[in-house]
Amino acid sequence: MDSNAISTGSTPKPRVEAGRLRRIAFASLAVATLAGAPAAALEPKLLPNERAFAFSARGVDDRTVEARFVIADGYYLYRDRLKFTIEPGALGEASLPPGKPKEDQFFGKVETYRNQLIVKLPLDAAAPGRAVTVNAESQGCADLGVCYPPQTQKVTLTLPAAGGRPGMPVEAAPVKKSWLK
Amino acid sequence: MSQRWIGVAFAAAGLLALGAGMLWQQAGNEATASRSTNADGATLFALALPDVAGKDQPMAQWKGKVLVVNFWATWCEPCREEMPRFMKLQEQYGGKGLQFVGIAIDQADKVQQFTTNMHLNYPSLIGGYGGIELSRSFGNALGALPFTLVVDRAGRIVQTKLGPMKDEQLQPIIDQLLLTSSN
Repeated sequence: MDSNAISTGSTPKPRVEAGRLRRIAFASLAVATLAGAPAAALEPKLLPNERAFAFSARGVDDRTVEARFVIADGYYLYRDRLKFTIEPGALGEASLPPGKPKEDQFFGKVETYRNQLIVKLPLDAAAPGRAVTVNAESQGCADLGVCYPPQTQKVTLTLPAAGGRPGMPVEAAPVKKSWLK
Repeated sequence: MSQRWIGVAFAAAGLLALGAGMLWQQAGNEATASRSTNADGATLFALALPDVAGKDQPMAQWKGKVLVVNFWATWCEPCREEMPRFMKLQEQYGGKGLQFVGIAIDQADKVQQFTTNMHLNYPSLIGGYGGIELSRSFGNALGALPFTLVVDRAGRIVQTKLGPMKDEQLQPIIDQLLLTSSN
């Protein structure tokens, strides 16, 4: 880790397990680096985009998908930046619940979601038992004063058969790219 | 007997010191290696990004100045909020060699509209969404905005900051760097 590393709340695993002395040596070096080098200012503790806005979805019936965002405390999503698509197939008009109004000096009135957002996405046509991929594009910010770029999260699920029971929620696959590299 | 023990103790101490030294060096190499995965000042000054008119602007034109490079976007409220303060600093210290340069993670038309409206007094180049990856290479692991680099006159990145840069944080660095000559 260099001094620019930003704390993401997770504990980085040492790449090589090599005993205590080594870690002490490393820690001393880190202290020396912090003292001598132009270190970055202390960074706020922030979650990666996909963990701040965790997306999941499930098939409710053969023509309805329920999309869900679990939004971490201190984070919010913009209502008008949400976009859902499905492959294969097409979605009808989804009715997003009203968000909390917020005055934005550039965009005017905007609405935001906190905590949790659940949206029913109607398919254009019934597709009983079909495997579909739901893509959710979203953009949000943290109260600490940073915004995340738009991200697209994907969930692949199987729609229930006609008259079948709703499926279990499927979480979006975690983004492979690790900040540790 | 006791002399022999002293000898053993010295030998052990020597071995320990040698071992510690090797570990130290290894740790040092590792730290250097992980740092070199991050882009540095040379990478920054090798860049050229389009301005709002679509003309490529090499970063090298600002080498020798105290440079503040700010990754931002119109869709980022905390970014927009800190820009008027950057404008004040640009006005106050521009004559002494301070230069702000924005890199917008955004579309040129939106940037143009916004920067014209607010009479931005420093250039903002267009990074597009690829600009996020660029900011990651400078240490912005989360790829969030605003993200700011402070570069000294010699072209070294001396500070990186994710999140709004407060005046009390930026001003002392600028003051100090403006006093220093380019070597």
